[in-house]
Amino acid sequence: MLKKINLAPQIICFLPIVAIIPIGKDIFLDFHSGGINTLYKFFSSALFPSFDYLVIENSINGIKVTLSIAFIGWIISIINGLFLGLICSDIFYKTFNTPKIIHKIIKCLLAIPRGIHELIWGLLLLQVFGLTTWVAILAISIPYSALMARVFADQIDALGTRKIYALKSSGAGSLEALITALMPKLFPIIISHSAYRLECAIRGATLLGVFGLGGIGTELQLSIQSLQFKEVWTSLWILGIVVFTLEEIIKLAQNSFQSSINIRSTSIILCSTLFFLLCFSFTYLKSIDIGLAFNFIPVTLSHKSHFIAALKDLEIIRLSLESINMMLLASGLAIGAPPLICLLLPGEFSRKVISIIWLVLRLVPIPLLAILFLLFINPSISVAALALGIHNMGIMGKILLDTVNNTDDRISLAIKASGGNERVAWLYGKLSPKSIAYLSYSLYRADIILRETAVVGVVGGVGLGWQLQESLTSFAWAEVIIVVSTFVLLTMIGELISEKLKSNLKNDSLSLKAV
Amino acid sequence: MNPILEFKDVSLISTKTSRLQKINFSVWSHEKVALIGKSGAGKTTLIKIANGTIKPTKGTIRLKGVEINQVKRKARSCIGTIWQDLRLIEELTVAQNINAGALSKHSFLWAIRNIFGLVNVDLCKRYLELVELPPEIINLRVDMLSGGQQQRVAIARLIRQSPELLLADEPISNLDPELVKKILSLLLQSKKIKNFKIPSTSIISLHRPEFIKDFSRVIGLKNGTVLFDLPTSEVHNYLLKSLYE
Repeated sequence: MLKKINLAPQIICFLPIVAIIPIGKDIFLDFHSGGINTLYKFFSSALFPSFDYLVIENSINGIKVTLSIAFIGWIISIINGLFLGLICSDIFYKTFNTPKIIHKIIKCLLAIPRGIHELIWGLLLLQVFGLTTWVAILAISIPYSALMARVFADQIDALGTRKIYALKSSGAGSLEALITALMPKLFPIIISHSAYRLECAIRGATLLGVFGLGGIGTELQLSIQSLQFKEVWTSLWILGIVVFTLEEIIKLAQNSFQSSINIRSTSIILCSTLFFLLCFSFTYLKSIDIGLAFNFIPVTLSHKSHFIAALKDLEIIRLSLESINMMLLASGLAIGAPPLICLLLPGEFSRKVISIIWLVLRLVPIPLLAILFLLFINPSISVAALALGIHNMGIMGKILLDTVNNTDDRISLAIKASGGNERVAWLYGKLSPKSIAYLSYSLYRADIILRETAVVGVVGGVGLGWQLQESLTSFAWAEVIIVVSTFVLLTMIGELISEKLKSNLKNDSLSLKAV
Repeated sequence: MNPILEFKDVSLISTKTSRLQKINFSVWSHEKVALIGKSGAGKTTLIKIANGTIKPTKGTIRLKGVEINQVKRKARSCIGTIWQDLRLIEELTVAQNINAGALSKHSFLWAIRNIFGLVNVDLCKRYLELVELPPEIINLRVDMLSGGQQQRVAIARLIRQSPELLLADEPISNLDPELVKKILSLLLQSKKIKNFKIPSTSIISLHRPEFIKDFSRVIGLKNGTVLFDLPTSEVHNYLLKSLYE
């Protein structure tokens, strides 16, 4: 008999944390004490990082490289994302009366670069262009352009066609009508999403560094491999300070833009800032002679027989299931833990401490977290999911706090005034009004986590990511193409499922059918 | 001579908007037509078909003798619309919104300059004066104005467009009686005021029939059909009663 159970969205926010049960069980069974001492050294080094001049200088130089790569990749993706987002939007073909099929084809094609994680792009481009900074820049700008295009297209479509049609009915040209009706509304959205993407680009550039593409990631990787934890923490603290400062500057700028959105002055400020960043980044990268030249290395395309053989050899279904399993466990941890932690620790001081921990968690690249866990846990899907989940918990935690802090205080004050405690006030007054927004973002994050399984797979020996690394190092291009295509297919299916769930979330509560 | 606007056997079958059935009428230069009827009678739909934002299922609409689909883009600027929801761009200033009426006459670059607030501010002040709004509001965002002020900005935008035919969808709903008089007298002018061209021909939909005396002709719509199309002097109370019952 089917019975309908109504679950309030604020309750659904906590449910994914059940993923901690299988992860916890595996960790308990696979735990070994061999690396406990090393782990203790790692954490104690957080309080006593190295103040050696050379270490600090290397870290700062590393950060400059990472920031330069991130800035250039980010600016390229904003420009591409805006252009592609516009031509992908439904509004574009409705306004210009262009064939719908062309717009659908572009939209579908963009799912391919979007479905491949920046690390995979990095590894693939490395094979084609060799070790050059452009590889890192392209590895960031290709998927981010497609991601931004999707976000901007969705936002443009959400604005509707009424005002464009009104201007067109008065004889205005399509382009003039589009610019006049959409630009003022789109401007704050572009600023807000681009600011968010900058932090992602810095994380991406750090991660690419871990795989040898330069910057602070490379410094971190070298230090952790030689177990120089004090040096690791020097780099991490400096990275943390830089990212925190950038976040605060962006927040300040966003607040001032929102309070007086004068398109002219905002555009002048933004364009000059972007121009300055671009000049700084190129000049810096050129000055350290890191290599901005393209060296094309021809890749021999695989024969049809190689593909057939690769399909037989690869256990693609098993590898895909491993990646999906990893994604589900990691998403559960990343989505369910932040609201629970906030509920258990409602005080102002504890929130500040949590914010710092979350900042560190999202700054430590996933492969390094995985390596740390492997010091005391045997390799398994759960370890990979734990690394992935904890890194993403840092991101989801920030999103949750940012969202909740923007909530009106009146409800929580009313609850406290009527005798409710701090936790109840937070649950009802802060989380409840924003729970649907949090869940919607969680679905989007789950898509990202699915892409990121490639990253831990490369380190942890599980899933499609591991297979990709194996195939790349043996130059088995047929296998590489099959694995990458599977990734794209999985992320496209994931996007379709999350789109469906997001439309369900538009209701005030979710109904789950249970036997 | 061709009529300015001609509806011939126009029908619309739609689930989204009010339906229209076999609408036939012509509007000649300098006519002031009141379109009246209950809510849902099809007034808004008719106006949207007339300005080309909705395509009818059957029938033809001609603008100065040319089928509306074949009218060139720039020539469409001879129709000006005041929308029921005004369709001002809230994020733009009063001046930028007024200038949006002149997009058909200018280039893409001009549209960009307008977004950046760099064009014709002084000219816009004169339009404000025309609709009796203070020039100080010129650089305010339009969503900071009252409903009545926004209505007048929409009219200023329309006059900036300088169309020959005015289509207005309930431009006086939700306005106080004093303002209704002012706005109607402005919209129904036939001559230039302060060198600004006011549309000589107009079709204005009204929810209430009290103001039809200011018009030369009245079209009564009921359930998507034309119940009557008469000079104002021939519209008797019994006709209005049958329209609204």
